[in-house]
Amino acid sequence: MKRPRLYLQLLTYAALVVAAAVVLYPVLLVVKKAFEPGRQFALSASPIPTTLTTEHFADLFGARGGHGELLFLHHAWNSLVAAILTTIVGVSLSCTAAYALSRMRFPGHKAGLITFLVVQMFPATLLIMPLYVLLDRLGLLNSMVGLVLVYATTAIPFCVWTLKGYFDSLPRELEEAARMDGAGAWQTFWRVMLPLARPGIAVTALFSFMTAWNEFIMASTFLTDDSRYTLPVLIQSSVGQYSSDWGFFAAGAIVTSLPVMALFYVLQKFLVGGLTAGSVKG
Amino acid sequence: MTRATPPHTGAQLRDWTVASLFALVVALAVFVGHRNHALRARQLELADRAAAEIALGRPPIAEAEAAGIVGAPHPSATHPFLHPRTVTGPTGTRPLGGPSAPAVDKLLYDAAERYDARGPFVELASDGSGHAIAARPGTGGVAVAVIAPESPEGMPWLIILGALGLGAVIAAAGALIGGAARPLGLAIGGALLAIPANGWGGMGATISIVCASLAVTIASGRGTLARAFAGFRTHRVAIAFLAPASLAMFVLVATPFCVGLVLGFFDHQHGQWSFVGLSNFGEILSGGGRAFDDPLNFWFILGVTVVWTAANVFLHVTIGVALAMLLRQAWLPGKGVWRMLLILPWAIPNYITALIWKGMFQGEYGAINALLHAAGLDGVSWFSSWATAFSANVVTNTWLGFPFMMVVAIGALESVPRDFYEAAVVDGATPWQRFIHITLPHLKPALGPAVVLGSIWTFNMFNVIYLVSAGKPGGSTDILVTDAYRWAFERGERYGMAAAYGAIIFLVLLLWTVFGSRIGRREDKS
Repeated sequence: MKRPRLYLQLLTYAALVVAAAVVLYPVLLVVKKAFEPGRQFALSASPIPTTLTTEHFADLFGARGGHGELLFLHHAWNSLVAAILTTIVGVSLSCTAAYALSRMRFPGHKAGLITFLVVQMFPATLLIMPLYVLLDRLGLLNSMVGLVLVYATTAIPFCVWTLKGYFDSLPRELEEAARMDGAGAWQTFWRVMLPLARPGIAVTALFSFMTAWNEFIMASTFLTDDSRYTLPVLIQSSVGQYSSDWGFFAAGAIVTSLPVMALFYVLQKFLVGGLTAGSVKG
Repeated sequence: MTRATPPHTGAQLRDWTVASLFALVVALAVFVGHRNHALRARQLELADRAAAEIALGRPPIAEAEAAGIVGAPHPSATHPFLHPRTVTGPTGTRPLGGPSAPAVDKLLYDAAERYDARGPFVELASDGSGHAIAARPGTGGVAVAVIAPESPEGMPWLIILGALGLGAVIAAAGALIGGAARPLGLAIGGALLAIPANGWGGMGATISIVCASLAVTIASGRGTLARAFAGFRTHRVAIAFLAPASLAMFVLVATPFCVGLVLGFFDHQHGQWSFVGLSNFGEILSGGGRAFDDPLNFWFILGVTVVWTAANVFLHVTIGVALAMLLRQAWLPGKGVWRMLLILPWAIPNYITALIWKGMFQGEYGAINALLHAAGLDGVSWFSSWATAFSANVVTNTWLGFPFMMVVAIGALESVPRDFYEAAVVDGATPWQRFIHITLPHLKPALGPAVVLGSIWTFNMFNVIYLVSAGKPGGSTDILVTDAYRWAFERGERYGMAAAYGAIIFLVLLLWTVFGSRIGRREDKS
């Protein structure tokens, strides 16, 4: 391959270095804050800490809440339960529908596809107020069940749409062979297609886990009792209106995001495929 | 009719089941509503009476779970920021709360707080536990009474089963007699539950059950039901497979959506709903009599939202495509590493990104002002004027949003055969011509849907607005979704206004999705 002129190469590098610096700067600031003493940012633009400390992490894991519980672990547990339950509800209710939308033809097939797509694209914040009123009536505010139901409103359409995309990519021959051997619709699905779809199901499950793990505004609205908070609400409240502890925030942000960031890097190529495939077909 | 009697009766009973299922749902709903209403009234009456007794200095009535005179708050000696209160009951005076205090103390304390803020009240506890609470003036403090929740009376299964059984018999008898008795039996048998429902829910329930039964009878006579059932049978596998997700969507999405639409016609103030017709929509669309540049004027917010969306999507696409083009040059080493680095903002949860940037834009300690100082410039108070606060939001959202467009563009560019460029170079095309005539047409099919999707995300990018500028100054940087949220949760629970906002946002999005994908499709063809 022929190389372009030197100044063009240098320009390319310069642009990429600037872009990378802009991307990394805020991240480095947080890392710096996490290892630097003090609750406020130091008045300095440098992303490199001058003194190092682990006090924020000690505080993060050692701080106790109003009921004597270990603050961070308690809320991490809340987040974990909410995200896992949401994933289970989302995936288990969606598999069959995704398969039907992918393979079967029936009146309303197209309308069904469009409905799931539109619901998946439109923001859950549109439903936040009616959901609040309904959950209040049912006495489900401040409860894990209520939060999981709320998260399921986004998780189910997402799972249906993504899994449908995965079923579309599976060859029809195996299915037809199973039919020839006398398997019914359910057996074909359960014994043949579902095992084949395992990678797709795993990816979908991990994405709905990440979405629930990262969700902030619903949790902050529906959970008013501070012992029920999920991690995003805890982290946001550490830099709230009245008091802010950016050291706690930075340590908490790093511990909370690292696992999902790792997941994101493993899964990102599936995400892009799924998102654009979905919208092109719609 | 040449069919034999048995399937005939079977079809009649099948149609009767359709009518009865609807009637059953209506009857159960009105019964539960009726029962809760009566229960609530009784609980409130008890709470009010107990509080009245306390206020008069008498012992509380037997039904009260807790009652007494709650004293004024006094700053605690050891922790001045705490304001404990005491309660004086039949057993003497004791402080509220503490390690071994009963859970009901919290209700007593909160009730006194609310009394101080809003005056006397009688109502059910807002925690959904079913406690009824009353507070009124008493000697030496607030007279507060709490009534424990009571379990409701059981369901009237006997009446319901009786009505259903009788209905089935009537419908079957009509079918056996044949002729005009057949539709008559179906109509009467299907509507029988209307009689007890009339006692529970009044005329509304009765009329809806009777109408449904008549509709089923007509549909049955014209064969519509039979065809529908045949359709069900043909597609029963698909229906069974779709059922779990569809039911969940119906309950979790369609129900709140419809509730939201209906609530748009109501006004909610201080816990009271009242029907106001189209006035919420009127107030929103007319701007509520506010000047156009008032941050509460709908058209102002819509303008901000559109500018916000356009600015962000433009920046996302420009930066994303530019970086994608840099990264596709064949001679560049370490493409994967650059790509990994540049999609970092996408990997970080967006509420954390928003909070980081909020910290960076702080006036006193923020890194942005520190950078300005280092460059010899004055610091900016970012959130005190519209332009700077809005820019802060845009910068944050551009930072977190460009990687998506970049990744989509990288994917699209991979599909361009390199020969095209080489041929174009041979033909003497300038770089700009190559971009316009080769790159852009290949980007469009993938970028079009990505732009529609990205614009919907940005239009609703709640976290960035809510966490970075928080609408400052004075709500002027709010977008539609955050403003709707504030109507519901930060401006005195104006749920009706929030619901009307939600409906309007939904329409705008729907129009944009339909319109946007139209444009995308037309460009595909050209």
